[in-house]
Amino acid sequence: MTQTPEPTPFTQAGDTRTSAKISRDTISAVSVAVLCVLLLLSARLVSPALGSWTQVETVLVLGFFLVVLSYGQGLVILSGGLDLSLPATITLGGILATSWVGANDPNAWYLLPVVLMICGLVGLMSGIGVVWLKVPPFIMTMAMSIIVASALLGYTNGTPRGAAPTAAVALMKTELLGLPTPVIVLVAFVAMGWLFQSRSIYGRYLYAIGTNLDAARIAGVPVTMMQILPYVISAMCAGFVGIALVGYSSGATLRMGDDYLLPSIAAVVIGGSSILGGRGTNLGTVGGAILLTTLGTIISALGMEFGLRTVIEGSIVLFALLLLREELFQKLRNLWR
Amino acid sequence: MNINRMKTSVATAALAAASLTWAAQAQAQDGEKFKIYLSLSYSGNAWQSEAANIVKALAATPPYDTQVELIENISGTDPQAQIAAYESMIDDGADAIISFPISSTALNRTIRRGCDEGVLFFMYDGTVTEDCAYNVSFLSAGFGENTAQALVNELGGKGKIFLSRGVPGNSVDQRHTDGAMSVFSKYPGIEIVAEYYSFWDDRTTQQETAKALAAHPQVDGVWAQAGEYGVIQALLDAGRPLVPMTGENSAGFRRALADPEMQAKGLRGVSSGSGPAQSGYAFKLAMEILTGQRELEPQNIEYPLPWVPAAEVKICEGDSYTDGCNVFPESKVPSSFVSEVLNPVLLPEINVESALNGTPVPGATIQPLPADVVVTANNEPGINCDPCEAAPDLYKLTKVEATVQP
Amino acid sequence: MALAQFEVQTVPAWKTLLIKSTRGAALIVGIYLILYAFYAYQQPRALSASSFASLMNNTAPLALAAAGQALVVISRGFDLSVAGVISICNVTLAVYPLEGPGGALMSALLCMAIGLTVGAVNGVLVAVLRLQSIAATLATMIICQGIALVILKAPGGSVANWIADEMTGRLAGVIPVSGLVVALVIGTWLLLRRSNFGLSLYAIGADEHSAALSGINTRRVRFLTFVIAGAIYGLAGFMLSAQTATGNPTAGTPLLMLSFAAVALGGTSLSGGKGGLFAAVMGAAVLMLLQKVLFSFGISSFYTGMFQGVALICAVVFSGLLTRLGEVK
Repeated sequence: MTQTPEPTPFTQAGDTRTSAKISRDTISAVSVAVLCVLLLLSARLVSPALGSWTQVETVLVLGFFLVVLSYGQGLVILSGGLDLSLPATITLGGILATSWVGANDPNAWYLLPVVLMICGLVGLMSGIGVVWLKVPPFIMTMAMSIIVASALLGYTNGTPRGAAPTAAVALMKTELLGLPTPVIVLVAFVAMGWLFQSRSIYGRYLYAIGTNLDAARIAGVPVTMMQILPYVISAMCAGFVGIALVGYSSGATLRMGDDYLLPSIAAVVIGGSSILGGRGTNLGTVGGAILLTTLGTIISALGMEFGLRTVIEGSIVLFALLLLREELFQKLRNLWR
Repeated sequence: MNINRMKTSVATAALAAASLTWAAQAQAQDGEKFKIYLSLSYSGNAWQSEAANIVKALAATPPYDTQVELIENISGTDPQAQIAAYESMIDDGADAIISFPISSTALNRTIRRGCDEGVLFFMYDGTVTEDCAYNVSFLSAGFGENTAQALVNELGGKGKIFLSRGVPGNSVDQRHTDGAMSVFSKYPGIEIVAEYYSFWDDRTTQQETAKALAAHPQVDGVWAQAGEYGVIQALLDAGRPLVPMTGENSAGFRRALADPEMQAKGLRGVSSGSGPAQSGYAFKLAMEILTGQRELEPQNIEYPLPWVPAAEVKICEGDSYTDGCNVFPESKVPSSFVSEVLNPVLLPEINVESALNGTPVPGATIQPLPADVVVTANNEPGINCDPCEAAPDLYKLTKVEATVQP
Repeated sequence: MALAQFEVQTVPAWKTLLIKSTRGAALIVGIYLILYAFYAYQQPRALSASSFASLMNNTAPLALAAAGQALVVISRGFDLSVAGVISICNVTLAVYPLEGPGGALMSALLCMAIGLTVGAVNGVLVAVLRLQSIAATLATMIICQGIALVILKAPGGSVANWIADEMTGRLAGVIPVSGLVVALVIGTWLLLRRSNFGLSLYAIGADEHSAALSGINTRRVRFLTFVIAGAIYGLAGFMLSAQTATGNPTAGTPLLMLSFAAVALGGTSLSGGKGGLFAAVMGAAVLMLLQKVLFSFGISSFYTGMFQGVALICAVVFSGLLTRLGEVK
């Protein structure tokens, strides 16, 4: 990361030092994880059954979708963009997996990757719109979302058909080495994501263009490619989530992705990334996603009316944000030295 | 120069628009068809598209095919969008609007304006409180209380249960739950350990049930609204025995009720609830009024409560519900397919293909509804009338009797 | 904006016209007029006072929501709490209807107070505690939605008749009242824009660091931005209640994404420092009109989304092109 120029004129002083930056991101990821564990343990107050290993497994399986999704979202945000097309892309993956792959189950081994590529194509179009047509990411991805959703409505005539491909069901419903398969896949996915984002040249490029596009260009970063790439990856992640979702509940609906957009952004931000780009780690994002899922599990165990539950959920999100705030890390770091 | 160029392009576009209008008018003039709008608030789940498909199939069945110009409109989950859509339809000279209303009250004023211009409003499944509209709905038929009593009977009056509700902040969900609570609250032995919202969706139900199971591993029964098949899947995922449960009409649930393997795991219960067939019934009523075959003042019309206990589930061989069968096999429809879409009495002219594709049955003709078919629904304040008095026996049991006493 | 004076002399006449059309809201107003012409051509009733009024009534809530959102966006922020504020206002008016003109005024003030309060919380979180606006307002939105559900569990209740009738009616049989409310907000904005606050707002959005260096109290301006935006959302909730005449605890949710679309369509850059309220209001008007136009052309609703999406991209690309053409000297 040392060669990457990091002129950050708009953020607080002290951010320019690479060592400080890494330690802040690490602290942020660690504190999210600590918060998660605390939350799980304190859940015993709500119900004695909570906080058990079974519950951890449930959280990890349910959190699978959000973790994968927010990884893609995190990359896009890191590069200075935002991906609002996730709901439609999830649905695209789900619909294609059921109505198309489900009907040709023996060929799933090559059709499922094709589904991912079709989803990637949506991301490619978003990326091209953002980079070449200079449409703001917010608008471009929102418009893509509307377009894809409408195309799916027309394609399915309103009625999604077919059953989940066996491979997708196996992904979500089997056990491997005594653990649910999705948990193992999740660990592998996170490891790969970490290698890409934190240990590869591409990851460094993304940090650079998210921090300062012009500086990155001058420093020789292939800016165009690196701006488009996150959208493609994000769309493929969303497609993967779509496939996993139909494996989990064996059918697709046209609104299956709707509930995931805001949580995917929240997970990234809670994980310590800047919504303006250039800052954040994927481990932090994973922590954010798990934290939100844990919270959801505990909240639904509360025997309260929905309104109050929602208020509590929002308050805890706010609390987490305040706790993981910039200044706090600044102080923590000062103690460290 | 630039302005001139702009003018030219505007003129070209206007010309194109003009030819479109002309074509549309030419079409409208031959045959004097009734212009009927089908206004959905949203589409994308099996229920909504089946409801729309059977109306499309009926409209394409003789003699309706020469009498009706049916135009479908999907406005979205936002009351304002449906208000705007109704307004456009009224302005466009609609004869009738068949609609799934997104809100029981927000559309009232627009409906009033439409009624004043002579438009017939037929609401299906959902209702509106405006009294110039016809409401065709099962809502007043007591889904909540009857299923709750059936569950209590299965459990022998005691046990820990989950409530899998619908959409928070929705009046239909509230009505069902109020009905159910009128029964559950009578039995001190019934303990509601978890109450969650399924958004009437299999996948959400499955996820929410999984969360509830993590917190409350001990559960003896589940009272569910639509999305019930997700409950079964969540129980199976967690490697747990199945329990008595009630739910709505998904093919997955009905097939499971009839499946000996599932029964051996402990599944018992009843399938009831909302049916897309209501849209077809509403459409046929509207057509009979428009063509002068029936005189009917605007009112609340009850669609009979579907009621299929596990013992009565029968898988169909053919394309329609004949010989008392009431669910299609897996080779024909997905588990999310809502079974209460065909009705041998009210809608004999359509079959499963109509429900899936909106296609008419070859050779079928429209059969008139039985003359005395209309059953007036109970008043339910805030649901199908406002202001009004609630019927005194609002939560009266109609399908089951209490076999256990509190 | 300030660049306009310098460019006019150096470019040919047709280019000047183009440049002018990119300033402020001219472009979006033009799009609106063309769309309206199509609509009126297809549906002659569109020109009647009652049709225009009902279009206005449909537009007003989104227009106001977009106006508030534009303020925050100009300061380079996002405000998701718009959905929550509108929902709370709507259920409050449905649960506690206040009759008569006095009651209507009280209700409007009440709604604005609700918006002010939520806005102040947002302001503290963003300006003082320095949380990212999108994250902080996401949390307040969730909390507000919860509060709305606590106030009213299921849709119901009824908004005072006076509000429902008069606020959606017409003055002298012609001028829609809802249009006047929106005009009032725009008018206030035009005054405000020239004030210290208005200038600081643009400065912060363009470059917070230099704005602070040039002596602008960025905290105060940011805080005020959220507060004022909140008050405008309150008005949006008030107008929405007038139109639906009933309470719905999730009333505001559909307006969330649409408000951003309207802001962007109006040419307000989501990266801050540019744009205006009037353009955002016109963006909202175009979005609502587009539905009507697509309907009148009989386009299957399965595909209206495609048209909306493509229209959104085209509008942004087109206005971007014009702006860049304008910048070429």
